[in-house]
Amino acid sequence: MAGLSIDGARKSFGDTEVLKGVSIDVAEGEFAVIVGPSGCGKSTLLRAVAGLEALGAGRIVIGSRDVTDLQPSDRGIAMVFQSYALYPHLTVYENMAFGLRIAKTGKAEIAEAVRRAAEILNIEALLDRKPAALSGGQRQRVAIGRAIVRQPQIFLFDEPLSNLDADLRVRMRYEFASLHRTLGTTTLYVTHDQVEAMTLADRIIVLRDGQVEQIGSPRDLYERPATLFVAQFLGTPRMNILSATATVNGRATLANGREIALPPLAGALEPGTPVSIGIRPEDIAIGAASGALPFTIAFIERLGGLATVHLQGAGGGEPIACQLRDDGSLREGDTVPAFLPADRLHLFDADGRALARRPAE
Amino acid sequence: MMLRRWIITLLAALVALVTIAPLLWMLSVSFMAPGEASGFPPPLFPANPGLDNYRTLFGSFGIGRFLANSLLVSTLATGLALLFTVPAGYAFAKLRFRGRDATFRLLVAALVVPGQIGMLPLFLELKAMGLVNSYAGALVPWLAGIFGIFLVRQYCLSIPDEMLEAARIDGASEGQILRRIVLPILTPIVVTLALFVFLSSWNDFMWPLIILADQDLYTLPVALAAMSRQHVQDNELMMAGAVVTTLPVLILFLSLQRFYLSGLLAGSVKG
Ligand SMILES: Nc1ncnc2c1ncn2[C@@H]1O[C@H](COP(=O)(O)OP(=O)(O)OP(=O)(O)O)[C@@H](O)[C@H]1O
Ligand SMILES: [Mg+2]
Repeated sequence: MAGLSIDGARKSFGDTEVLKGVSIDVAEGEFAVIVGPSGCGKSTLLRAVAGLEALGAGRIVIGSRDVTDLQPSDRGIAMVFQSYALYPHLTVYENMAFGLRIAKTGKAEIAEAVRRAAEILNIEALLDRKPAALSGGQRQRVAIGRAIVRQPQIFLFDEPLSNLDADLRVRMRYEFASLHRTLGTTTLYVTHDQVEAMTLADRIIVLRDGQVEQIGSPRDLYERPATLFVAQFLGTPRMNILSATATVNGRATLANGREIALPPLAGALEPGTPVSIGIRPEDIAIGAASGALPFTIAFIERLGGLATVHLQGAGGGEPIACQLRDDGSLREGDTVPAFLPADRLHLFDADGRALARRPAE
Repeated sequence: MMLRRWIITLLAALVALVTIAPLLWMLSVSFMAPGEASGFPPPLFPANPGLDNYRTLFGSFGIGRFLANSLLVSTLATGLALLFTVPAGYAFAKLRFRGRDATFRLLVAALVVPGQIGMLPLFLELKAMGLVNSYAGALVPWLAGIFGIFLVRQYCLSIPDEMLEAARIDGASEGQILRRIVLPILTPIVVTLALFVFLSSWNDFMWPLIILADQDLYTLPVALAAMSRQHVQDNELMMAGAVVTTLPVLILFLSLQRFYLSGLLAGSVKG
């Protein structure tokens, strides 16, 4: 096993720069997830690590070896593609054994390696079938099996679950987690599904437009997003964003003219500074409290146990979403008091950078 | 509904009959006595079916030698054509190299030039190389058919890149990828192409006529043409010759039927 370090990776296709100096360190045994919107360069980065794309600049180090100029097969990686990319004319066994056969590994050794991988993935009964005779979930397992058999130092996964239906996706997500616990192999996993990222990752790397936006544990990123982009990318429903203008005494005026209290900041804001105030739907409290503002319920999405309530403030502006336990008592059109607790607010400057909080004494 | 289906079936049977009738009559005539087919109206079946025509063919005429020549030339033409066109088609589809698309466009543009136009220059070229009156010369036009390259390339385009990349990660060299992944997937199209080249080279008349001077080197169509000049009257013998020419490719065609164009990519990728 080994860690992975990507240093200043750059890559252009023609005139468009797709990776603009990406640096990432993944510790040995860590499960790192790269998330980001479509087209931000996730696959390109992963393929560069695999050696399928040559970098324009930058280094890739696996363990203590600089692999930047090595062939894919010499890097000690295994990759699972979004499309699975199984060899259609070979049986499941032969698919998994292909790499070892190329490497001229002994027959008995191959059989043992395939058997072990098949056991871990519960596909022993499928070994004689061709890929055409497998379901989507089974093909996925075979693709993972082919990766395991190589005993790589790093696993690379490119959106491995995106072709599965929702039900199977949840189950396979769980299996990825337990697989990682079993094997402990360093993993770089690409997805654009933030739920996958939150549930699987030891560390999340948010990629945006070819640049690293933020790296941290799922909790870190959720609680302390460094930018407006990260704040809105993670979490469903999305974080509410209200534009406001700083006034005196650590307060701000919302677009509709109401005042709210801000959390204590490291540096005082000049009165008149435009800020964005973020609050997660589950952090809004409905019910009378000092500082609560009246809102009209514009729309309720009931999800069974939970409900997302869209609140319309007096004086217009974007409705804000609020998530709470649904006891059936709220009605659309009701006016309710809602409270935005100052310590749950996220503050961002005009450029979308988070404003530092004053450290707690 | 039923009636419509019956009519369509009947029409199809009729067309099939019209198509196959000359072939059947050819077979029938080949068993007739000399001159029998020239009567009026021509008889459908031989009065006294016999193998005399075939005896003449294989005996005094020595068609066995030409049959062997044709088999040799067509087999070599097919083998060599596959050897060059399949890797070329794959490379044009899947490998990245400078000038790939420009070269391919040029090749496709050359497809519109009729083959006959190239025959004279080609002949002069081969003459300069000393390949006239040899099988090497007879084989040259088959080496790298543009149509074959085009066909293989179009099929290779449907092979997902990720599959080849998976093989690269698995440590396979480009040659191993071609042999162990691409070729098995291409089996249906390779068989189709092989059949196509075999048939065309088997039936080819013009080029062997131009390039082969020596009687002993003649292929079947050239030898039969020579024979028909000597035996203008002998329709029955000619028909027997036609049967000997047609039968091998017909058998080949039917025996390879299950290979053509059956999909093999199924199950490799999603859905
Ligand atoms: N071979 C290529 N040639 C030209 N442009 C490319 C190539 N591969 C990727 N790109 C471009 O690079 C950008 C990043 O692509 P990439 O596949 O890395 O995105 P991604 O983050 O994986 O997106 P998705 O979530 O949709 O898979 C895209 O704008 C894409 O069009
Ligand atoms: Mg991608």
